[in-house]
Amino acid sequence: MAVFTRATKNLILKIDEFFDNIELGLLVFREGIKSYLEKDIEAFQRHIQKIEGLESNADKLQRAIENEMITHSILPQHREEVSKLLDQLDEIIDSLKSSLNEINTELPDIPSELNKDFISLTEVSANAAEELIPAARAYFKAPYTVREKLLKVFYFESETDKISLYIKRRIFQEMKDIDLAHKAHLRYIVHHIETISDLAQKAADLLAGMAIKIVM
Amino acid sequence: MILFFLTSGLFLGWSLGANDASNVFGSAVGSRMISFRKAAIIASVAVILGAVIQGAGAAQTLGKLGAVNAIGGSFTLALAAAVTIYVMTKFSLPVSTTQAIVGAIIGWNLFTGNKTDAGTLSKIVTTWISGPILGAAIAVPLYILINRIKKVSKIHLISFESYIRTGLIIVGAFGAYSLGANNIANVMGVFVPAFQLQPLNLGLFTLSSSQQLFLLGGMAIAVGILTYSKKVMETVGANIVELSSEAAMVVVLAQSIVLFIFSSSALSNLLIKIGLPPIPMVPVSSSQVIVGCIMGIGLYKGANNINFKLLGEITLGWITTPVMSGLLAFFSLFFIKNIFGIDVGHKVAEGSIGNDLVISAPDASMSGIMKYLLIGIIISGILVIIYFLLLERKKTRELKLSEEKFWKNIK
Repeated sequence: MAVFTRATKNLILKIDEFFDNIELGLLVFREGIKSYLEKDIEAFQRHIQKIEGLESNADKLQRAIENEMITHSILPQHREEVSKLLDQLDEIIDSLKSSLNEINTELPDIPSELNKDFISLTEVSANAAEELIPAARAYFKAPYTVREKLLKVFYFESETDKISLYIKRRIFQEMKDIDLAHKAHLRYIVHHIETISDLAQKAADLLAGMAIKIVM
Repeated sequence: MILFFLTSGLFLGWSLGANDASNVFGSAVGSRMISFRKAAIIASVAVILGAVIQGAGAAQTLGKLGAVNAIGGSFTLALAAAVTIYVMTKFSLPVSTTQAIVGAIIGWNLFTGNKTDAGTLSKIVTTWISGPILGAAIAVPLYILINRIKKVSKIHLISFESYIRTGLIIVGAFGAYSLGANNIANVMGVFVPAFQLQPLNLGLFTLSSSQQLFLLGGMAIAVGILTYSKKVMETVGANIVELSSEAAMVVVLAQSIVLFIFSSSALSNLLIKIGLPPIPMVPVSSSQVIVGCIMGIGLYKGANNINFKLLGEITLGWITTPVMSGLLAFFSLFFIKNIFGIDVGHKVAEGSIGNDLVISAPDASMSGIMKYLLIGIIISGILVIIYFLLLERKKTRELKLSEEKFWKNIK
């Protein structure tokens, strides 16, 4: 029985740590984008290093959680869905890391008049993913509250779509002085930031279904 | 020769283990909360304890239905019931051993010209109806209570499942104990009047003649659990209704309580003391009780997810089992008596059912054989359990090593 308790406690701690990693990753991503827009390359590099550490740790935790669930036969009926949820959350932190890395590699030239819009887009898109974490934590403790928590994810995702469309329109319709390749590159960066909220919505859809199943 | 006659009872015990253990651990194994091996070992030990400690009450009631007064008759009835159960188990239908043996006893009564005691029969058949209803009546409030506790306490899902798993092991052991106590009558009840042994002193305690028979029967049930119950366990757990882990625990607990109620002489005596009517000591169909519990929860949750087709198949089995067993017993008795010339019993004088038993003096040589046989089986059983535990430990250690190797390679 002691083995059960120890395994259970370890697993709970690992799941919490995994969620902490995603939340921290979102904070670092926000700061990373801000520092790039402010041309603070030293801080930007520091954030990239930080997010790489968090992403690698999340990967390890994800594998360990899945292994422990199988080895100790924990949550046999929900294991598959929990693994899928962790996988989708891991995709979010993967996307955060790859976005910062691509910015670091391609060094896009973002016009200063778009800075405010890019910060706003980053904030809202990261908010969508951030609101997903309390809902995911609630799945384990109070599944009845999951759906109401997920409302914010869907709200921020739709806000992200609006802002991204607004930025793209500005780039292609108002900025006549930059060439088409530059415009396409900027759209590509916008798309990268927007992807975070899309991934959050995908995970939210899964989580909503999981919550219904567990409450029924 | 007498030992040979016991083999049909042991075969029936094996059938009961293969079939009815699914009612105790089926929902736990089917919902993958407990591994089959762990469930089988716990159930085997508990069922033997239940049979030996508390098996006498229900066996007496079955004796009143038809006091089989020749060992050849006991052999034939147990064989007819066992074959019936085996055929049903082959089709993965959780049928009732109680109905099979009751059908066989009625077949014996018809063959020997004995009158079936309508009072006892109606008492038994009433429990076939009241058992599932009582099971559902216990299961639904328990299910509501556990869910309420889960909601209010905001316990972590993983901790909750861990507690449920521990609960399933404890409740499963209680269920197996109750199954042994209540259903051993089906396996060895027909042998008790015609089989007399000297008390067996095992140092710490002494086993009476019937307890020795119950111990043998309990062991046969255990072998049935270990060798053949996996398939039926998966049918019960996975096919009738999608069971959540807490529902699985409630179902086993409710069923165990019902079986315990119908086999506890102490509880019955307590009710008499406080001026209430006694509880009938009747072998209850665990299959019917479990289906009642599952249906109760299913109906409470909204009956959309109940597999009515399978329930229909089970209900059909309830009718066909006693009929098939009764017919098989009747014709088998005819063959055994007329072709092999073995005494299968005779008509008992009116009004003396239960008293006109052929109670021979205890056979000393037979008691000696039984003593060494039982001790040998107990020792082998303990060795098998130790072997399985070591196997489990080895598997866990191998898993741990492969985990460590995996993480070492990742680094």
